[in-house]
Amino acid sequence: MADSTSKKLDFQLYVITGTNYHPGRSMIDVIEQALIGGADIVQLRDKTASKQDIRENAHKLRQLTRRYGVPLIINDHIDIALEAEADGVHLGQDDLSLAEARRLLGPDRIIGISTHSIEQGLAAQAGGADYIGVGPVYPTGTKPGRAAVTTSYVQEAAEQIRIPFVAIGGITLGNVDTVIAAGASRVCAVSEIVGADDPAAVCRAFKARLHAAAPQRSEVQADDFAGTGVIVNGVAQRTTARTVWELICQHRLEDRRVVVELDGEIVVREEWSCTPIHEGAAVELVHFVGGG
Amino acid sequence: MMMNDQDSLVIAGVKLQSRMLLGTGRFPSPHVLQQALTASGAEVVTFAVRRVNLEEVEDDSVLQHLSGRHYTFLPNTSGANNAEEAVRIAKLARAAGLGSWIKVEISANARTLLPDPIETLRATEQLVKEGFDVLPYTSDDPILCKRLEEAGAVAVMPGGSPIGSGLGIMNPYNLGLIIEEANVPIIVDAGIGSAADAAQAMELGASAVLLNSPVAKAKDPVAMALAMKLAIEAGRLSYLAGRIPKKRYASASSAPEDSLFASPAKGAL
Repeated sequence: MADSTSKKLDFQLYVITGTNYHPGRSMIDVIEQALIGGADIVQLRDKTASKQDIRENAHKLRQLTRRYGVPLIINDHIDIALEAEADGVHLGQDDLSLAEARRLLGPDRIIGISTHSIEQGLAAQAGGADYIGVGPVYPTGTKPGRAAVTTSYVQEAAEQIRIPFVAIGGITLGNVDTVIAAGASRVCAVSEIVGADDPAAVCRAFKARLHAAAPQRSEVQADDFAGTGVIVNGVAQRTTARTVWELICQHRLEDRRVVVELDGEIVVREEWSCTPIHEGAAVELVHFVGGG
Repeated sequence: MMMNDQDSLVIAGVKLQSRMLLGTGRFPSPHVLQQALTASGAEVVTFAVRRVNLEEVEDDSVLQHLSGRHYTFLPNTSGANNAEEAVRIAKLARAAGLGSWIKVEISANARTLLPDPIETLRATEQLVKEGFDVLPYTSDDPILCKRLEEAGAVAVMPGGSPIGSGLGIMNPYNLGLIIEEANVPIIVDAGIGSAADAAQAMELGASAVLLNSPVAKAKDPVAMALAMKLAIEAGRLSYLAGRIPKKRYASASSAPEDSLFASPAKGAL
């Protein structure tokens, strides 16, 4: 089964794999950095690798994204998406039809469609897509030769598309504010994130821009900024902590002998800083008190 | 004299000179706790696992008051209602890096706090499998205590009477049977009210006594800690020395012959 987060699609920052942008570093490490930085949906895309390699990567990414509680989308390969228990697939205009994909995947999995015009976007929406990609907004190395749709399509999408749409294509920290100003509340970046020396820092910067723009849009999104909804020692709270270590520091417990349990599993101190806090996490912070 | 260095108690490979295990709850202040610990000579201390109070800035953890001394730590699983919860608490305690001893404590009744025998046995079995040194607090049932020993408990800790009741040893007969049958140390845990109770437990042959309330809630906890220490030593020594059998009638301390007022022997007539 795909994870229960499947259809919620409350992401803001979409990251897609691109191994050619980080020679010498493992894809899992780079994506984990992106997740630590706040990327909240991941797509495995690899147009050149063998199917066996893609399958293996899908399984690895599934484990990783589960730990961080974010959806995993597989580009093109429905069979691999099903086998690896991914949350959904992403299809281009020339791939399998939406109807056929839905038949194969069932009603619960996410289907995303690349669209390059408002006509394609509306067609995908009518056809039952869960989200659409809107782009390429700018010329991009990942889609050479494709004409940029510019922010005018972003603007049209913001006005006419009712399902989530994600602006994609050549988006960088340098131009993201323009894309957001055109109406995008979700953006996707590839080379800017996975090609960065510090993918986590880039993701944090993207999230900050998206957050800064979001309060004007809706109360619901404004609530998101307050952080992640977690339950600490049985009490629901919102925290901006991204890791167990940050949560410990926020409660000023870093110098105390505290034991941490996250969703029923003990997290040893050495792993506090690399263990993410996800939405809905149940955290127990315990210590020793007098007793007989 | 039989009370000497060779009379040490060994639990899970740890050699102990003191036969008092002291709980750390309910002391009037951390300072009193520290003084009482010193007076007691206890080498094993118990405590409980609880959620950190996130509203409270002050550190109310007990360990800060125990630093600088060498103790064997015996965290308990109080608050657990079943074996699964006890195992979860035990794992949290072990993750703190204070060793692998665990006192299984699963209370089934809020009024008596008497241990749930079935869950206690289950928890002991599971925790032994997980590599813990398990000291289950249990009811004073000889068969159950045997089962706990067979499950791999490093010591078995039957209660004298309900926790904090101070009723002393309600069933010395059972306790005697448990001790006779045991191949692991038997520690009387719970119910001790005064030094007399502690001495009685030791005279019955218990290997040690675990106390908390009778010391912590005494008018003078530090003095009571010392009284308990002396009583436990006295009781142990008395046990080793071998008490006389009980008789229905008197048995004079001096031979009756040659008493000044004795009737003359027949032969003198």
